[in-house]
Amino acid sequence: MAAGVAAWLPFARAAAIGWMPVASAPMPPPPREKRRGQDGLIILNVSGTRFQTWRNTLERYPDTLLGSTERDFFFHEETNEYFFDRDPDIFRHILNFYRTGKLHYPRHECISAYDEELAFFGIIPEIIGDCCYEEYKDRRRENAERIQDDEENENSKDMVLPEMSFRETMWRAFENPHTSTMALVFYYVTGFFIAVSVMANVVETVPCGSGPNRAKEVSCGERYALAFFCLDTACVMIFTVEYLLRLIAAPSRYKFVKSVMSIIDVVAIMPYYIGLVMTDNEDVSGAFVTLRVFRVFRIFKFSRHSAGLRILGYTLKSCASELGFLLFSLTMAIIIFATVMFYAEKGSSASKFTSIPAAFWYTIVTMTTLGYGDMVPKTIIGKVFGSICSLSGVLVIALPVPVIVSNFSRIYHQSQRAEKRRAQKKTRLARIRATKSGGANAYLQYKRNGMLAEAEEEASKQAGQALVCKSNPTFETQHHHLLHCLEKTTNHEFVDEQTYETSCMEVSLSKPSMSRSSSLSSSPHGLSSCCTRRNKRKSFNVPNSNMVAGRRGSIQELSTIQIRERPMSNSRSSLNAKFEETVPLNSEDQSYITAAVISMPTPPMTTPEGENSASSPDFLQSNIVRVSAL
Amino acid sequence: MSAPVKRTQWDEDPTLFRKDHGLSKKVLLNCCLVRWIISWASPNKKDSVEDELELSAVRHRPEALELLEAQTRFSRKELQILYRGFKNECPSGVVNEDTFKEIYAQFFPQGDASTYAHFLFNAFDTDHNGSVSFEDFVMGLSILLRGTVQEKLNWAFNLYDINKDGYITKEEMLDIIKSIYDMMGKCTYPILKEETPRQHVEIFFQKMDKNRDGVVTIDEFIDCCQNDENIMRSMQLFENVI
Repeated sequence: MAAGVAAWLPFARAAAIGWMPVASAPMPPPPREKRRGQDGLIILNVSGTRFQTWRNTLERYPDTLLGSTERDFFFHEETNEYFFDRDPDIFRHILNFYRTGKLHYPRHECISAYDEELAFFGIIPEIIGDCCYEEYKDRRRENAERIQDDEENENSKDMVLPEMSFRETMWRAFENPHTSTMALVFYYVTGFFIAVSVMANVVETVPCGSGPNRAKEVSCGERYALAFFCLDTACVMIFTVEYLLRLIAAPSRYKFVKSVMSIIDVVAIMPYYIGLVMTDNEDVSGAFVTLRVFRVFRIFKFSRHSAGLRILGYTLKSCASELGFLLFSLTMAIIIFATVMFYAEKGSSASKFTSIPAAFWYTIVTMTTLGYGDMVPKTIIGKVFGSICSLSGVLVIALPVPVIVSNFSRIYHQSQRAEKRRAQKKTRLARIRATKSGGANAYLQYKRNGMLAEAEEEASKQAGQALVCKSNPTFETQHHHLLHCLEKTTNHEFVDEQTYETSCMEVSLSKPSMSRSSSLSSSPHGLSSCCTRRNKRKSFNVPNSNMVAGRRGSIQELSTIQIRERPMSNSRSSLNAKFEETVPLNSEDQSYITAAVISMPTPPMTTPEGENSASSPDFLQSNIVRVSAL
Repeated sequence: MSAPVKRTQWDEDPTLFRKDHGLSKKVLLNCCLVRWIISWASPNKKDSVEDELELSAVRHRPEALELLEAQTRFSRKELQILYRGFKNECPSGVVNEDTFKEIYAQFFPQGDASTYAHFLFNAFDTDHNGSVSFEDFVMGLSILLRGTVQEKLNWAFNLYDINKDGYITKEEMLDIIKSIYDMMGKCTYPILKEETPRQHVEIFFQKMDKNRDGVVTIDEFIDCCQNDENIMRSMQLFENVI
């Protein structure tokens, strides 16, 4: 809840008078107001720049440095102000957070400096407003990557650790050629041989002038057959050796065999071996010839050497849907026009449009504006449709192509950004949901220990414990009183989702009324002592004891709930809360404990204290910052 | 301080303009036809421009502090605190119904507070101009927090009487009660049943409607509430909210 809305709480409470005449039950007494009339101006001197604000503004977030008594450490008696030796520019945003309830991230600031300031003032970065959250996360990730790269560079600069096995060294050499001289040499040699092999394939087919005893021209491949064969053999030798070495060095052989590059390697060298095996069989020599075509795939081996080629392949893959759509629409248009042309030209004599598939060729050539002229319509209607075909061809093909081209660059960048945003969206939605449930759960927690808080507070004061005083009725307590009034008006109680579902199941199964004895298990662990004293108080009976699942099941639930609600970072309150096992925690702290607490089955009344104190640290660990609960 | 600029003035002007323009029936028709054609061709442009103009023009400055001090029962300091909070949340100086609903909904995250907020808005918006200015806000609060019991009960009656005709009918009461139950949401104990609001209304009417004529008048209401201890006590509950 934004801090600004806190200003409307008096209004909401006043409006509650509208419920009074229709209330079904008497209203609860209001929380005691304390420390009234202490609203004064506070001067904050941050490295010379003076900021002033109301005391109440700062105390909206008692979980931070400025909102708690921690700021007293920075009080400067001579000038009667609070002095902080920090960056005033960044402090401006921090102070705005208190004023507006939203934390913004300034784009021109360095991310690590900002993080440091936030940490100093005890503010959790996760509460940055949605407007700036993406930017913040992006910068943070870049920074983390940069740090990681630096570390990797440092590590790689060191000499290869002797613990690395020969196999691992080899794999590393293959993947990163610049790690050692040997790898670099190998890299260049294979590159050279790929080029040589491809060139040989090309030159093989060039006519080389007529031989001494022959009439017609022969290709170079036939003239210098032996030379080309030796060259081919050498290249294939190198490629085979390289492939086998890679196969040996690969950490996961199965994965390596499945990868695209290895398939290209295999396809590049297989024709040679197949050719070796099949030279004497005349019948299959025709097939053998076609196999030689596959030798041209050696050119794809270059993609290991060129990053650009890899990027192109990746973007083609990611553009597959657009390409597919282009193909599909083209096919549709081709079929339509081919059919039309065929039937239009059916009448004319000696027409080349012998069938619809024959007309496909004409349509494709016309639509791509090639116009070879080997097939032309002769009838008038054929010519009319032919011209419509060529015009629409321009539209159908020329329009999507630039779109796809721009898609390449856009999709490439966008896919990276989309991933980021999707990940952030999940966490953002989780935060919103958590805030909502946190508010509701905080109230349920208040119900259980709200009345007890005041009594406990006095007890603790008598015990002389000097703790961070957090039990002043702030916005939270007043809000909870308001919700309590609503409950009394309607004579229904707020419960959390789990309990509601159980009671729904109950109603459908029509079970008898719940057992009162296990109501004790609902008590939060931190208040074990007071709850045993007050177990007569049935008014706060939340029927979470009616878990249909057995004990073991509930413990399972507990662990899953705990895991699900892992904290993002330790808040100040959670650190303090570790000590305060017998003092009532402020309802704010336990906003997320509630869900976990409910499902934990404690053995009723046997040893509540022992168990509770043992397991409470676990609960306190799973605190999430309650700042966002407001 | 200058007088507050009320939205009603802007509402009136376009009609005046239109009236002056109609010289002869034919001219009027042509004008309308042309305008209709233009508006059909560019459907939303005109409205959006007008909307933008309206939004930017709504900037309300409240009455002077002394005046408000005299009219309400708040002290100067209290008014200052109230206005600061109000202005923080609504920089333009007025709250329209949507903002009002949003703000109120933040206090009841589990349920749907929009219907009750609607009734509340109508109760606060005493001059029924569609927005709650700071004066309306502070007047309402003054009654609720510093008023006599009579005034508070009056205010509550005004809230329940949706059509402001001086009688609370069963339908009006049912609407109000339903909206209150809506605020609870669905996760309640015991589970909210369909007939619970109706039963609640019956109980209310049995208590309040003395002459059994099916409606509750202001006198019946005040009489009955004054005789009910619980209600009297709860009226004093929020004395020290500010």
